[in-house]
Amino acid sequence: MAEVEETLKRIQSHKGVIGTMVVNAEGIPIRTTLDNSTTVQYAGLLHQLTVKAKSTVRDIDPQNDLTFLRIRSKKHEIMVAPDKEYLLIVIQNPCE
Amino acid sequence: MDEGDMKGEVYPFGIVGMANKGDCLQKGESIKFQLCVLGQNAQTMAYNITPLRRATVECVKDQFGFINYEVGDSKKLFFHVKEVQDGIELQAGEEVEFSGHTSPWCGPTEATQKHAQNSGGEGCVGVRRRRRGGGGGGAVSTATRAQLGQLCRAGSAGAEALASGGAAGTERPERPERPGPLQDETLGVASVPSQWRGVQGIRGETKSCQTASIATAEASAQTRKHADAEVQTEAPEPVSLPSVPQYDGPRLAAFLRRVEAMVTRELNKNWQSHAFDGFEVNWSEQQQTVTCLHTLGYPPAQGQGLHVTGVSWSTTGSVVACAYGRLDDGDWSTLKSFVCAWNLDRRGLNPQQPSAVVEAPSAVMCLAFHPTQPSHVAGGLYNGEVLVWDMSHPEDPLLWRTGLTDDTHTDPVYQVVWLPGPQHGHRFQVLSVAADGKVLLWLAVGAGRLQLSAGFALAVQQLPRSTKLKKPPRGETEVGATAVAFSSFDPSLFVLGTEGGFPLKCSLAAEEPALTRMPSSVPLRAPAQFTFSPHGGPVYSVSCSPFHRNLFLSAGTDGHVHLYSMLQAQPLTSLQLSHKYLFAVRWSPVRPLVFAAASGEGDVQLFDLQKSSQKPTVSIKQTQDESPVYCLEFNHQQTQLLAAGDAKGMVKVWQLSSEFTEQGPRETEDLDQLAAEVAT
Repeated sequence: MAEVEETLKRIQSHKGVIGTMVVNAEGIPIRTTLDNSTTVQYAGLLHQLTVKAKSTVRDIDPQNDLTFLRIRSKKHEIMVAPDKEYLLIVIQNPCE
Repeated sequence: MDEGDMKGEVYPFGIVGMANKGDCLQKGESIKFQLCVLGQNAQTMAYNITPLRRATVECVKDQFGFINYEVGDSKKLFFHVKEVQDGIELQAGEEVEFSGHTSPWCGPTEATQKHAQNSGGEGCVGVRRRRRGGGGGGAVSTATRAQLGQLCRAGSAGAEALASGGAAGTERPERPERPGPLQDETLGVASVPSQWRGVQGIRGETKSCQTASIATAEASAQTRKHADAEVQTEAPEPVSLPSVPQYDGPRLAAFLRRVEAMVTRELNKNWQSHAFDGFEVNWSEQQQTVTCLHTLGYPPAQGQGLHVTGVSWSTTGSVVACAYGRLDDGDWSTLKSFVCAWNLDRRGLNPQQPSAVVEAPSAVMCLAFHPTQPSHVAGGLYNGEVLVWDMSHPEDPLLWRTGLTDDTHTDPVYQVVWLPGPQHGHRFQVLSVAADGKVLLWLAVGAGRLQLSAGFALAVQQLPRSTKLKKPPRGETEVGATAVAFSSFDPSLFVLGTEGGFPLKCSLAAEEPALTRMPSSVPLRAPAQFTFSPHGGPVYSVSCSPFHRNLFLSAGTDGHVHLYSMLQAQPLTSLQLSHKYLFAVRWSPVRPLVFAAASGEGDVQLFDLQKSSQKPTVSIKQTQDESPVYCLEFNHQQTQLLAAGDAKGMVKVWQLSSEFTEQGPRETEDLDQLAAEVAT
């Protein structure tokens, strides 16, 4: 759909963004700007990590919930926006 | 023997009458003598007696021949044809009469020409055909067949048979060609039996030996229970993006609307945030200095004075192999050399004892481990062959060889590289580069042979004229190649280092046929596409950057390292690392701005272009006496290890400090920046 594509394009064009992808609840990528193998890798691993993070937050406080997940590494930062059905993953190379 | 009897006329003779006192006379033997009258009692005596012998000629060869006559311990009497009376040509089997003496100076009796004796006392044998009947002067008594000679030696023509002018040393008129006063004469052989030495026969003893009987025993075993099991592999699931699953378009759009704002906010915050400035986490123990982990050597090779010419890490990163040879031999050498491998992860590693040693028929100049098989090693030899060994089979390591055919290199092979096979299968082929200007690709066919599958040849006329090069000496058309490096981004692109000092950009896909006279079973192609600006001397090593597709390094005998970009002929930077030769240069596999170089002064120099672009960050002294370091390789699995081999036959494994193994945050960008400094 046009709106979906536009939104993704907007996010992708932010400063320093390396890649953007949308993953469904089973961890299968739906939309991506990276190549196949990288996408599959990120999708599978981050989906599992998100599930774990969400359960961690809920275990600490059942009233709480996960809203955003950020992983900062030496080379870049991975941002995950979780939802009931989908996951939005953005990889950015922040300025240093 | 004081008296001799002769039938017919009898003349007494004494020992003094013997021409050669060594001769022994037997009763009934025919002799030849002269008569003389002793002044004292006017007795006629026999004088100058030489035994007269007769035998058959065994054979005649040109100037000399042999007479079948048993004398002493030789069965044949040698004679020269000039000794034959009247110059008659003798045939084998003819019967001749001869008189012989043994020359006291030469061993076997020589038959020499003679009719009358020389006063010199040397024996001689006159050979003449046995005359049937009479003829030839002198009264010949049939019984004795003795010839009477002249009465006195001051010869006047008398008896014709005896030589005229028998005085010692005078010339013989009938033999003008006879040699002068000094003549060789041989006397007959006198044998003196030994009193103390017996006959030396062959002594033999019989001995026999037998192995002890083999002890055998029988035992039987039987399984009590057995179980069946089956195993089957499953086809691997293809890693591919499955077809885009059905998704609810509007719901996805709604989701994105919900999260977009939040994500954008975070992205912007990140871009401006200084929260993590200077924040670094250390996960592993920091190594501050470079240390030498292992010093490996193979004493028999070091004893032969061999250098380490090539070093390579296996695909698992735990085995280091080195090749022994000599890099300074000017001419064809046939010394045997070795390939040794050490397994560094094994317990009980003995640095002086490699875990596998392979002997090679000629000096090994370069080495490369197979990219997926941990035990296969390819090596290039001084005589132009390429061999592949399997280090896990020490008793029969040789797997494949090129042999010495028309296709093989005619010069030492300087580098071998493994490449994926042409059909994208699991088979690999070996690329070899040698000083005869050929770059050959070998494929392993059955029966242990490496067959040429493709080849390239460099010719001076076909070099691209992107740089002005020195005119080569007349008659030279080949450009020797000394090093090769493949680009990690484009598998068909490679860089060749040449003896002329200029790197060449080449492609495996080149089509143009090569102008070369070298015979080859596969048509050779000209690979060069671009010529870079030369070094001051031959290039010994090139290395393509694993992080940037356009950058490569080259090091040569002028002690400089040039950093080139594929896009221009002039180097981006040129660094002088040494006053002697540089033998090897390699990019670090983990840090984009770091490379290592091996120098002829015995140093391994590590350069960090981020820290300083002029001088090395760390300079490791490998050898104490400044003997050169010939090769070095980074370990791609254990990235803190660097192996270097030197002229003393030692391989040292260095553990690098953490600054060389951990990538900084923006190194790739810095490298891009460096590469972008392309002069316009």
